[in-house]
Amino acid sequence: MTVVPQTNSQQSTGAGGGNLYDILELILDRGLVIDAFVRVSLVGIEILKIDVRVVVASVDTYLRFAEACNRLDLEAGRKAPSQLTDIVGDATESGAKGKSKGALTGAVEAFSESFQRGRDGEEQEQEREREPRKAASSSSSGARRTTRRKED
Amino acid sequence: MSTYIYAITSAEHPQNLQGLSGVGEPAGTLRTVGTKSLSAVVSDAPEDLRAKRRDLAAHQAVLEQLMADGATLPMRFGLVGPDDGSVESVLEENKDAYAERLAELNGCVEYNLKAAREEDDLLREIVAGSAEIQRLREVSREHPEAQEEKVRLGELVSNEVQARHEAEARDLVERLSGGAQRHSVAEPTQSHFLNVSFLVRREDSAAFAQSVHEEAERRGDVYSLNLHGPLPPYSFV
Repeated sequence: MTVVPQTNSQQSTGAGGGNLYDILELILDRGLVIDAFVRVSLVGIEILKIDVRVVVASVDTYLRFAEACNRLDLEAGRKAPSQLTDIVGDATESGAKGKSKGALTGAVEAFSESFQRGRDGEEQEQEREREPRKAASSSSSGARRTTRRKED
Repeated sequence: MSTYIYAITSAEHPQNLQGLSGVGEPAGTLRTVGTKSLSAVVSDAPEDLRAKRRDLAAHQAVLEQLMADGATLPMRFGLVGPDDGSVESVLEENKDAYAERLAELNGCVEYNLKAAREEDDLLREIVAGSAEIQRLREVSREHPEAQEEKVRLGELVSNEVQARHEAEARDLVERLSGGAQRHSVAEPTQSHFLNVSFLVRREDSAAFAQSVHEEAERRGDVYSLNLHGPLPPYSFV
């Protein structure tokens, strides 16, 4: 498990939109609209919105849950827990213990990284931390995504 | 040339855009369009604008900078009007509503929280809690061909998963919403049982983040809480 400690030496309220992937739906689907204005085509954006809610009431879903239950080791649950908390934005350093369990796919990581690169050259560059590379990372690796703002 | 709009602020907002650039390739030059009471940050709209990474990042960066200096109404990505004049008209027509919204959001930022729980942990809890589920599980483990029992097992489990996710989402929102002015629950994704945004007073930000952290600690390691912020108040405009 990859852990990137939060090293926000700056302010008290921590993170901005450093990892835009995680707030993509806010940028794309929320925010103010003006009725008379048009919106640019979001064709191709489907690939970004990877998480679509599953249809819960379907035989496929039932079978998946049945399989998952049958595979389940009922005794395995009380293992020594590993910390999965991923807090971004808490610059009091109390968040620094957190780790995230990565459900991120390689594609998503690449996407996040590109986002980071996309912001280079802006005045906040020196305040930013690289998204860690996780070449050949397993599905259980992950990274705390730490970002910072210039404000406050 | 049509006009891409990023945000609306009051006319008094400093709108310090130094070092920032707009959407498009090459990046558009940011400028402001204003009326007596309101001001919008805009740029020329690129011909073939799509939601590319750098465009989304540019949009977000402009909003973050504006938000740092005062109340800002963040526009949804990709909003394009015919020209600067049309932006002015919209500001004038809706000036009361926009001013009111700016006043409401003054001093507030958005925090987005996504919460997930390890599936196996939840399933163990569900199996342990139902004799019927245990029975069906035994049957379908011993008789892999027993399709009907398998579907029935899956249906019961699925319903439990949904009910528990909803209950946990409600509980989590209830525990955290005290530290926020408002909250807005969005459709959860496949990997999360909760996707919620909180509107938090800037001075309460550290305490709010701390309360999320404590909640994560309390819930233990099978939960994953992802907090993002402070963000422009996308969910509250």
